[in-house]
Amino acid sequence: MTPLQNKVAELFENGTISLMIGYKNAINKLAVPCFIDHATQVEQLIYTPECKGNLSVYLHKAEIKQAKKIGILANIATLRSLVQLTSENQLSDIEKTVITINAQNEVLVFDNMEKVEEYVQANFPEYTEEDKKLLEQLNSMTRAERWQYWSEQFAACVKCYACRAVCPMCYCSSCTVECNQPQWIKVSSETTGNLEWHTMRAMHLAGRCINCGECGRICPVGIPVHLLTAQMNLDIEKEFGSKTGFSCNSGYALNTFKPEDKEQFIK
Amino acid sequence: MSEQFEPKIVAFVCNWCTYAGADLAGTSRTKYATNVSIIRFPCTGRIDFMLLMKAFENGADGIIVSGCHPNDCHYTSGNFHARRRWIVFRSLLDFMGFDTDRITFSWVSAAEGAKWAGLVDETTQRIREKGAFTDFKKLDCSTFEKISHDAITE
Ligand code: SF4
Ligand code: SF4
Repeated sequence: MTPLQNKVAELFENGTISLMIGYKNAINKLAVPCFIDHATQVEQLIYTPECKGNLSVYLHKAEIKQAKKIGILANIATLRSLVQLTSENQLSDIEKTVITINAQNEVLVFDNMEKVEEYVQANFPEYTEEDKKLLEQLNSMTRAERWQYWSEQFAACVKCYACRAVCPMCYCSSCTVECNQPQWIKVSSETTGNLEWHTMRAMHLAGRCINCGECGRICPVGIPVHLLTAQMNLDIEKEFGSKTGFSCNSGYALNTFKPEDKEQFIK
Repeated sequence: MSEQFEPKIVAFVCNWCTYAGADLAGTSRTKYATNVSIIRFPCTGRIDFMLLMKAFENGADGIIVSGCHPNDCHYTSGNFHARRRWIVFRSLLDFMGFDTDRITFSWVSAAEGAKWAGLVDETTQRIREKGAFTDFKKLDCSTFEKISHDAITE
């Protein structure tokens, strides 16, 4: 058994957790989420570089919340989402134990969010090289070229809402896209409606997205939707000095203000 | 004489300052461009970005968004919240390549009837020079062309 499996078995045996959310192997060496409720099942658990999915998305599900004590295996992006969700007061009703594996391959167990926050701040992730390159490319284009780029990307969107389903920060029980009186976002996939959907999605996540990149990875047609919120987060950090998923008390940049906020465009 | 293009401008304004400012411009019989249709909101804090998207979708060529000056909000902080949202919304539109020059953001108080008239004139002139807003219509056409093209080539 791996150190991770041993640790989780121990947590089951001493009654710290009654449900474990982790990853297991799937075909093609893919890692898929798995849910374990007994120490005898821990041998399924893996932790490889393939384990990218953000498991904190499951903490919003009623079925999961029923389990009284939840253990969750978290990579650094997941840890960040736990911090942001705590600051948005979304996790106060669950008793959770957070397990992570650090760069030295040690299994760390956090029993409270202060420790998670401390770890996140010490290991705060940067954007991936690929994302940095794409953002740089987009920002060096002219406005018209950017419009062309995004129009083409959005034209391919099939409105499957997978990007919403995987996002740990998209936890509203009813979403504006399902609102039909009035109908804010058209149901069919056509380009203006797609543009509106992506504008809305980016606006509702700006300053809350924790840059896990899941939405871009999951998109069946390969639209890099995560870049929109990634860019917004950079702008928000520049304008208002707040970082998402950095502190359990930071809240949400667009839910607050400073009288001295600066801009150059209001006449 | 060729007819000049008359843009449609939609103004989203708050009840307490800019609407009253526009009213003042009217009662003082100040002349300004008739291109603007004013929509009154309780507060700038209520002006959802989706409303602006819908205005463009429904044929607006330009938009004015205006409310009370900072520290003058009837509800104390609605305009401060709105300001943050505008900053982010504007940079999102810019990142998506949308022409943000089609939206004028402003603070107009109840006493600034003349500022309001000038703002409408200036915006109308700017949009007139830019011409009609066709980006959204082009999007719809390109989707249609793409679909019919795919259907034909299949
Ligand atoms: S918007 Fe995308 S990158 Fe941001 S938290 Fe949601 S899934 Fe992750
Ligand atoms: S996952 Fe991709 S195709 Fe599906 S709604 Fe999101 S952007 Fe559109």
